[in-house]
Amino acid sequence: MRAPAPHAASRLGLWLAVAFGVCFVTGLLSHAIQHPPAWFWWPSRPVQLYRVNQGLHVLSGVAAVPLLLAKLWTVYPRLFLRPPRAFGPLVRHAAERVATLVLVCSAFFELVTGLFNVAQSYPWRFFFPAAHYAVAWLAVGAIGVHVAIKLPVARSARPDPERRAFLRSAGVTAAAALVATAGVTVPWLRSVSPLAWRAGPGPQGVPVNRTAAAAHITVPDDWHLDVRWAGGSATMSLATLHALRQRTARLPIACVEGWSADADWTGVPLRDLLGAVGAPTDRPVRVSSLEKAGLYASSVLPRPHARDPLTLLALRLNGETLSPDHGFPCRIIAPNRPGVLQTKWVTLIEVLP
Amino acid sequence: MIRLAFLVAGVGALGYGCWLLVPQLTTTVPWLIAGPIVHDLVVAPLLAGVGLILTRARVGAAVRTALMVTATLALIAVPLVWRPSAAPDNPGLQNRDYPRDLALWLTALWAALAVSWLLRRRRRVGPPTAGTRNE
Repeated sequence: MRAPAPHAASRLGLWLAVAFGVCFVTGLLSHAIQHPPAWFWWPSRPVQLYRVNQGLHVLSGVAAVPLLLAKLWTVYPRLFLRPPRAFGPLVRHAAERVATLVLVCSAFFELVTGLFNVAQSYPWRFFFPAAHYAVAWLAVGAIGVHVAIKLPVARSARPDPERRAFLRSAGVTAAAALVATAGVTVPWLRSVSPLAWRAGPGPQGVPVNRTAAAAHITVPDDWHLDVRWAGGSATMSLATLHALRQRTARLPIACVEGWSADADWTGVPLRDLLGAVGAPTDRPVRVSSLEKAGLYASSVLPRPHARDPLTLLALRLNGETLSPDHGFPCRIIAPNRPGVLQTKWVTLIEVLP
Repeated sequence: MIRLAFLVAGVGALGYGCWLLVPQLTTTVPWLIAGPIVHDLVVAPLLAGVGLILTRARVGAAVRTALMVTATLALIAVPLVWRPSAAPDNPGLQNRDYPRDLALWLTALWAALAVSWLLRRRRRVGPPTAGTRNE
């Protein structure tokens, strides 16, 4: 058995703390955007901010995979340490082991469930977002306790030349894992990354998560858009929407699963549409889909997004009429938002009080 | 002092995480304990065995790194290749052929490694003189 390597372990621990820290903060942010507490505020600009947030979230998780394995490799011999006999040290030893067990359980859980989720493979019975969110708190909590226990060891550790090559290998491996997956969100790496989980262009050049078939969408022949607000309502046909002044904007679809793609969207700015029918334009807006069931059948655009002139009720994508999978007859596309909230197959717009 | 701050914040986050997890405990616990069990009983002994062989064979750092990269990428590819119960079919999406692309990538990696090894060996040994080789 090799001698313990506190320096390599603490160095890898520091890298892991950065990776898990980035993953946790970006994850919390994404969670708050999708389930906003009353005090939370999220701007509509910069346009690419949510895309960067999710890219950091999934890539920090990917980088953590080899780092976690390397870290466990350096401390594996400690698994077989004999517990002390005296009562005081034995209690401390047991507490430390329990804390480490929670840390290892939650760290593996987060990385494994995250990787399966981005691949849209669900070999479990729990609801992924809720479980991934709860265990994220366990993981950071366990990291906090672990740092509290190990800080003196990490501080007194002297560099060990024999482990330098191993540390370098771990760093190179993490970098390779990043390059191998970063194509999901970095356009110029798309053809380079062999493991980018959304590499295909998809219909009209943009990938899709939920197809019209999966959402059981049939657009009725007499489709029309209802607009409601306190004190009024209006109905608009597709021809009416086309007759309004159109705007084209280059906006990303940025999925919570980390993949993202820019596209040219053409449609009516939501602000203009509300103004045209005489509805208030400075309120939050709920957008509902033809989709009857499902978690994302409707979404609420907070005030900054509802007012942003880049927020479109899109009718066209990359110069073509929206395909069914992209939300025909119309969909919401707003800057700096998760893709799941860019409601498709829109049938009702309600201005909230 | 700073250790106490980490401890308090850590215990607080742990408590909140447990409170969130309680309603989902029965479905998540198997997946929570599977990580350390699989690692400590399967992955780590396997790595130890491979490490022993590499040390005996005096394999250099470059090959070790390439092996680590290969194993890590293969691990990350598992959910993309093994899909026990995937989301509903998404015919609009042409995903890439992951096994083929990963194989290409790893072949390039190992080929680069082999070329650099050959070049280094050649420099060390010097160019072979004509007529000395038995063929």
